[in-house]
Amino acid sequence: MINHRPIVKKLFLSILLSTVVVIGNHLFAQDGKALFQSNCASCHNPVKVVTGPALQGVTSRVTDKKLLHDWIHNNQKVLASGNKYFNDLYVQFNKTPMTTFPALTDGEIDAILKYVEDYKAPAPTAGGPGTSAEPSSDNTLLYGILTLILAVIMLVLLQVNSSLKKLSDDKEGIPAAEPIPFYRNKVYIMFIILLLFVGGGYLLVQGAVGLGRTKGYQPEQPIFYSHKVHAGTNQISCLYCHTNAWESKHATVPSLNVCMNCHAAINEYKGAKLLREDGTEVDGTQEIQKLYSYTGYDPKAGKYTQPGKPVEWIKIHNLPDHVFFSHAQHVRAGKVQCQTCHGPIQEMNEVKQFADLSMGWCINCHRTTKVDFPDSTGNGNKFYSIYKSFHKDLQSGKMDSVTVEKIGGTECQKCHY
Amino acid sequence: MKKISITLSILFTVTIFVSCSDDIRRKPGRVYMPDMAYSRAYETYSVTEEMKDSLLRHGVHFSNTPVPGTIKRGELVPGFLLAKDEAGDTANYAASRSIQNPLPALDSMQMIEANRLYLVNCGICHGPALDGNGPLYKGGDGPFPAKPAQLVGDKKYESMPEGQMFYSVTYGKNKMGSYASQLNTAQRWMVISYIKSKQQAAGKSAAPAAGSADSTAAKK
Repeated sequence: MINHRPIVKKLFLSILLSTVVVIGNHLFAQDGKALFQSNCASCHNPVKVVTGPALQGVTSRVTDKKLLHDWIHNNQKVLASGNKYFNDLYVQFNKTPMTTFPALTDGEIDAILKYVEDYKAPAPTAGGPGTSAEPSSDNTLLYGILTLILAVIMLVLLQVNSSLKKLSDDKEGIPAAEPIPFYRNKVYIMFIILLLFVGGGYLLVQGAVGLGRTKGYQPEQPIFYSHKVHAGTNQISCLYCHTNAWESKHATVPSLNVCMNCHAAINEYKGAKLLREDGTEVDGTQEIQKLYSYTGYDPKAGKYTQPGKPVEWIKIHNLPDHVFFSHAQHVRAGKVQCQTCHGPIQEMNEVKQFADLSMGWCINCHRTTKVDFPDSTGNGNKFYSIYKSFHKDLQSGKMDSVTVEKIGGTECQKCHY
Repeated sequence: MKKISITLSILFTVTIFVSCSDDIRRKPGRVYMPDMAYSRAYETYSVTEEMKDSLLRHGVHFSNTPVPGTIKRGELVPGFLLAKDEAGDTANYAASRSIQNPLPALDSMQMIEANRLYLVNCGICHGPALDGNGPLYKGGDGPFPAKPAQLVGDKKYESMPEGQMFYSVTYGKNKMGSYASQLNTAQRWMVISYIKSKQQAAGKSAAPAAGSADSTAAKK
């Protein structure tokens, strides 16, 4: 008699196994990304070295599948067993211990590995809004030519007029005066002198007023730092880097450790094309390399190997020595937006001085800005709480609002002291 | 003939004037009285060319770290006494679990300030909703290659003691840098209090939400 039981048992087991594998496979495709994101992504990237190594190709580097699973389950045990590959890796990554994942099943680990091997880095967003920016049309030349043409037409018409007059005078027998060429004609000469006087005077006054003002100043910085990429595209708050604008006179240029908060990990630029003001292209990755050379950071080793040196940024906004200006007073107490004075900074690749920083410009804003007094809940600017009388006047309806000028905003000594 | 030459010369002058107006201003230009415009005293970032040489020769620049042992005015004393771990060592990171938050519970105004500090300094990576998905990560599409910690909704961070969070904010952890230069000690504790309060609020709201959903289902 043939014993059927083992065959049935085997058959049953194999069906069970294949079902599990099929279901498991189905799960792999779905959950690989989610599992990777929740368990691994804080230290690993499929294609980039982060805290731990880039994972793509791991199955070919570690061909023993069981060893790899053991490593992920409990890496400390594998290290203790003296495996050379993993111990070398451990030393290479500054002996940063990897979290153990005893709860991950083999199926889940396979799903993660499949996701990692199939991962493709998102394509760089070539083109995009950076390239479509049209050069601002400048109409000065057009107007100049138009004016010139009109002036020539006027001269021709004047000539025609005088010729016709001469002809009609001849016909009527009035003796013509000695013909004077137009450059000796007193009317013409008067006209040209007047034009030169007005035009020259305008240019002279403009030049004199503009001397010492640097509106539009846009120097080339040692590193092409794009505010458009950082504050615009990536929405980093101005105060993240210019921390001191909140509590100090100076907004302060950040020290390089602030740059390295992100750039220790972000070592390449993949966004829209970066253009200088004159239209030439900038290699963003190259500019990040410049940052590494200033900080002495070795991105391959993930360590600071050289002594750092300061970046000599060029100061753009300069107030004369006899003017006091405090960022904290404006940003924190006055709640003035950065863009009010610095312009659309989140759209500037290269920073340009937006306001002329003249005294009239300051005064105009102080004349019209309303003070934000504390309301009943205590929100608002408590700096001026001594001015109780204004409150009373406001409440009794004697005044409808208080301008900065009324609380000493145009006192000379506020700025010149 | 003369007329033509005069017309041409006027045209020439105008063209020169127009072409001289440069669009990109790379030089700041001149000032009336340089000694009044540029500070004679050393001021932050106001270094002139001649001052720069002498300062750099003495190794002075504006991003120097403070002298070791410097205590800032208004700093919390005694502060955080654990030093940063050496590479490969986690002793102090583990020890930081027992450190308590020295600040009392935040009032509503302090909570607004802590929220502001979080959004300025942390939200960029950890997300304005503390979900670990800020604009720099964007679910893996942003420039930052590592996933930031999901502060709300991840058991690991919800059960993390405040002292250990403080260690990470002060000295950095994995790919996160140190925030000691941007946030002072009290501000760092405030941000951690804020994160803890958000975690508790999320924990509470999850339970009643489930309860109310049940009750509405029951009504139907």
